[in-house]
Amino acid sequence: MLDEAAILALQFIIVGLPVLMTPILMYVCRVSERLRNGLAVITAAITFILTLVLYPFIRDGGVLQHSLFEILPGLEISVRLDVLSFSLAALASFIWFLCTIYSLNYMAHEHACGRYYPVLIFTLGACQGIFFAGDLFSLFVFFELMSIIAYILVIHEQTEEALKAGYKYLVMTIIGGLALFFGIIAVFELGGTVSLGAGVIVTEKTTLGLVAFICFLIGFGMKAGMFPLHVWLPDAHPVAPSPASALLSGVMLKTGAYGLMRVLFNVYSVELLIESGWNIILAVLAIITILLGSAVALTQFDIKRRLAYSSISQLGYVLLGLSILNFNSITGATFHIFSHAFMKSALFLAAGSIIWKTGKRNIADMKGIGRLMPLTLGSFSLAALAMIGIPPLNGFLSKWTLALGALDADIPGYVLVLLISSLLNALYYLPIIIPAFFENPPGYENGEHGDNHDLIIKVKEAAPLMVAVVVLLALCTLIFGLTPNNIAFSLSRLTALFLLGGGSL
Amino acid sequence: MFASVPGHLPDPGGIYYSSLPLWVTLIPLLVGIGLYFLKNRFEVLRKVISLAASLASLAGVLIMLPMVLNGTVSFDLINFMQMGLFFRVDLVGWIFAVLITFIWFLATLFSFVYMDFEHNRPRFYSILIFTLGATLGVVLSGDFFTLFLFFELMTLSSFILVIHEQNSEAMQAGILYLYLGIAGGLALLFAIMMLFSATGTVEMIPQLDQLGENRTLIFILFLVGFGVKAGLVPLHIWLPQAHPVAPSPASALLSGIMIKTGAYGILRVALVLYSGAGQGGSDHTAYLFNAGNALMWVGIITMFSGALMALLQNNMKRILAYSSVSQIGYIATGLGAALFMATEGAMGFTGAVYHVINHAFFKAGLFMIAGTIFMYTRELELSRLGGMFKKMPFAGVVFLIAAAGIAGIPGFNGYASKTLIHDALLIAIKFNDLFSIRAAEIIFTLTSALTICYFIKLFRGVFMGKVPEKLDRKYPLALSTRIVLGTFAVAIVAIGLFPNYILENFLLRPAELLQYEGYAMDHLYHFHFFDWEMLKAMVIVVILSLIIYLPGVRLKWFDWRPPPWLSIYALFYQPLTNRLMAFTCRAGLMIDTTVDNAYTSSGNAARSMCGYVVDMEGGLDKFYKKWGLIGRKLAEGSRNMDQKLDQFYLKTGKAAKKLADKSADMDSALDNAYEKTGKTAQKLARQSANLDQALNVVYDQAGKKTREEIDKRLAAEKEKDKKGASRKWTTKNLSFDNLILILVLGLVLFIIFYFGRSL
Repeated sequence: MLDEAAILALQFIIVGLPVLMTPILMYVCRVSERLRNGLAVITAAITFILTLVLYPFIRDGGVLQHSLFEILPGLEISVRLDVLSFSLAALASFIWFLCTIYSLNYMAHEHACGRYYPVLIFTLGACQGIFFAGDLFSLFVFFELMSIIAYILVIHEQTEEALKAGYKYLVMTIIGGLALFFGIIAVFELGGTVSLGAGVIVTEKTTLGLVAFICFLIGFGMKAGMFPLHVWLPDAHPVAPSPASALLSGVMLKTGAYGLMRVLFNVYSVELLIESGWNIILAVLAIITILLGSAVALTQFDIKRRLAYSSISQLGYVLLGLSILNFNSITGATFHIFSHAFMKSALFLAAGSIIWKTGKRNIADMKGIGRLMPLTLGSFSLAALAMIGIPPLNGFLSKWTLALGALDADIPGYVLVLLISSLLNALYYLPIIIPAFFENPPGYENGEHGDNHDLIIKVKEAAPLMVAVVVLLALCTLIFGLTPNNIAFSLSRLTALFLLGGGSL
Repeated sequence: MFASVPGHLPDPGGIYYSSLPLWVTLIPLLVGIGLYFLKNRFEVLRKVISLAASLASLAGVLIMLPMVLNGTVSFDLINFMQMGLFFRVDLVGWIFAVLITFIWFLATLFSFVYMDFEHNRPRFYSILIFTLGATLGVVLSGDFFTLFLFFELMTLSSFILVIHEQNSEAMQAGILYLYLGIAGGLALLFAIMMLFSATGTVEMIPQLDQLGENRTLIFILFLVGFGVKAGLVPLHIWLPQAHPVAPSPASALLSGIMIKTGAYGILRVALVLYSGAGQGGSDHTAYLFNAGNALMWVGIITMFSGALMALLQNNMKRILAYSSVSQIGYIATGLGAALFMATEGAMGFTGAVYHVINHAFFKAGLFMIAGTIFMYTRELELSRLGGMFKKMPFAGVVFLIAAAGIAGIPGFNGYASKTLIHDALLIAIKFNDLFSIRAAEIIFTLTSALTICYFIKLFRGVFMGKVPEKLDRKYPLALSTRIVLGTFAVAIVAIGLFPNYILENFLLRPAELLQYEGYAMDHLYHFHFFDWEMLKAMVIVVILSLIIYLPGVRLKWFDWRPPPWLSIYALFYQPLTNRLMAFTCRAGLMIDTTVDNAYTSSGNAARSMCGYVVDMEGGLDKFYKKWGLIGRKLAEGSRNMDQKLDQFYLKTGKAAKKLADKSADMDSALDNAYEKTGKTAQKLARQSANLDQALNVVYDQAGKKTREEIDKRLAAEKEKDKKGASRKWTTKNLSFDNLILILVLGLVLFIIFYFGRSL
């Protein structure tokens, strides 16, 4: 349907449009704030739609690798489109679109919106650039660009806490970036190219290869919140405004996972990794991440901090799936990228609604809030149940697939880790949602019968657009679990087939 | 007795494809959700809809009867959640289904009046009907995955039923129930995943061959997962807390039905998945023997400890809750016996399923009676109740009937099932004369006696004795209550009087399908429930119970309140979970903060290192500066020196010049002096010349002679001088004789010196 030139053009527009709109947005706010906000939403929407237009090409199994120009012999800048790129690009633009809509109400009374919206849109462009990059070098450039510009989102509140968190984030981003850079150089040295379309770049088990692998782990793992590089996450995600938190947790962490996938499949090969046992490093770190994230989440009482640690834990699932390197586990990992994006965005945005409406961040203050904000908390509960892994929600499906992958590889221990983590998830989500629905909101005392059955509590929901976005995301968790062969799952399967079948042209 | 009748070859019958199972499950689910949004005004409508929904399910299940008698009803939703949703209804599942719907219908009817005394909650009715759908889904499911789906759904929705009251006790009980339910569900999930991975399918078919080396682990995991729901010891701890706090209709359903889904699951696992039928031979027999033995013993322990605990309680509903634990033990015992007897296990199987039916009736009935009493008196404690028989005779009579049923009095339904289970044990002893099975049979009898004991206690505590003043008024029972309780009574008595009806029509066929044969099957075909052998066993039980009860009451054994710490909950669950939680949190926090601190401290260390570098650099700077200063000073000094030297040179130069000048002066002075002296000398010379001239004149004058003589003398002197001068050694002056003289002198001297030298 679409030929190569058209697809290239589309990709350039998808990346370029948000970037170009950034200065426009910065100046439009002098004319009208509403115009700027509207333009931001429209940009995000157009990006999403244009990304979706690429679907037929992907469905037919197309892979595009186009080299743009050469900096040095062997160091080409190229553009790439394959199933994995498309999946994550579509996901990212969708979530971004929803979060931009959410921001309209959320940020209405916040300060520095003139900075927020342009940065939000710019980061979208950079993020799509990451997914469409065809070689490690441009991937690195967009990666760093996105991370560093996202700093502005992190420190948006400009409180001391936010600045400290942003500083930590920035330092760790730079450390990761340097490690990445070194890895890329090492790979270039080993393979003579950094293009992702060149099949396997590192073919032998050498010390430099191991060092490069570890550098990639550091670089991308730091972004994905892998232990021990996760320390920026619990500070950065809570201090950012909620839509930005949702994006950080829901999408930007996944760029780290995406980078790792490219490294595992397009730079190294499955055979090499299994033969040399380097995937065990990733597996061990992933297991520690899973258990640590859940364990510490139990102790947090700020809702956004709890959700941040939960993100750390859930990305561990993805990393674990990636380390097992068989069909079911890669499917599960990719599908978990999808489902976690929906679930975590729903959770963060719902938490944002609660904070926006009531100003409360502490879980102990959220008793009975389900009666005040039933739709928001209902969506929160649905997403939380999906996190715990209750069928028929999408979280269950991804865990099931991951577990099957682990059992295919004959490691029931991983399944045990997944189940323990599910139990821990239950232990830290249920204490939020049970009191929310079954206890009294503050200010409402028990009725004459000694219980609150006859209390009439007026519903005070958040703004309609915000509620709509949250409910939509929660419904997505239901839909993508319930419907057979839904697009997310089939894309995940295709990705796994593609990556395991060679991962390149 | 040991001869085997030529077996009926089981004809699995046709497969009927019908969407009925789906609708029977789905309609209550949807109606339940819908009921929630029905406003409070539509009271009657709500009741009507809920009743209609439960009736519809009952009708739907009943419609399946002809199909189920001849085969299985099947419905598939392929690709649902990648695994497919499969419904398969065979006779066993159907029995459970019809039981569920029937009891649910009765409970819904009962709850109309009951909930009027409570606070009419839209939530209660909606969740009640929703849970019906979920529970039906469990027993109508065709594979373990679908079962798991509905199982989790049932756990979640029954949680809301448990915490209905929303007081702290209810919340605590509900949360315990939920967490244990989720943990059990995860164990179940693990088992299902391993099953799927080992065999490639999650269907409920005999898979013992394919399970491989993990089969024990899978069995244990299934047992744990379903055992939490069933209430097997030690996983039962949620039961005595949750069943009493729920509203009575919900308690009736929890005890009567929902724990049976756990039993259903164990049945499917133990008797179908792990069935030895059609699988390779004797290796399995030994394995199944062990597995079944283990299950049976779990059942025995549950049965006994449940009865014991029931005896020590003083709350009406708690006694009934522990009684449920005990009765599930009976069912588990039956299943275990069936399992380890392999193909001879028909007795245990039929006994267990029969007991499921019977227990549903009498336990639900008992809970509803307790609910009736609570409804009017708001009291549950035995100490505060009494004499209700006179006040509510109808309830009292039904209670007696139900109690007789649960005790196993012949003529009431419990007798049939307990006899079957007991017989299963006896047959087991016949086949494998092991001490453990004998001991099991003895404990069985003892427990039955204890059952009678605690029911006597309950009856006496609630229905006999004096009526407390507060409760002394009229209690007119509503019609619906009477209908419900009456139905239970009729059912109990009917089954009790005609036990063979259910056995032959509903239980034999599944037994055949499970390929039971041999001695046990023969025995079942014409089971004589009222044989003296069986009756004798009951008589023993009754006598035993009286032996225990009468002294017990006298000696107040049953009033002993066990200390709060003496329970599995307090001894194991709470400390274990608290410690695990504390450990997890502490370990997690410690690791996280250590890593965080590592970063901050490494950052700080790096910064202080930079500080050192800055210091070092400053030091270097200072060093350079210092030496620069020194150098400069040196340079200055040398310049000074140079200057001084210069000056010195200047000075000495000047001095030298002065000296030179002075010497020049001196020279000139000398010159002058010489000149002067020269001049004076000249003068002197002139003067001496003058003098000389004068002298000469004098001399001249003095005499010429003398002058001549003087001149001669002067000339002679001058000649002498000349001679003398000619004695100057020139070659002209050399004379030969002087030369010889000198030579001889010289020679003499030489000889003297030369020879004298050596002296």
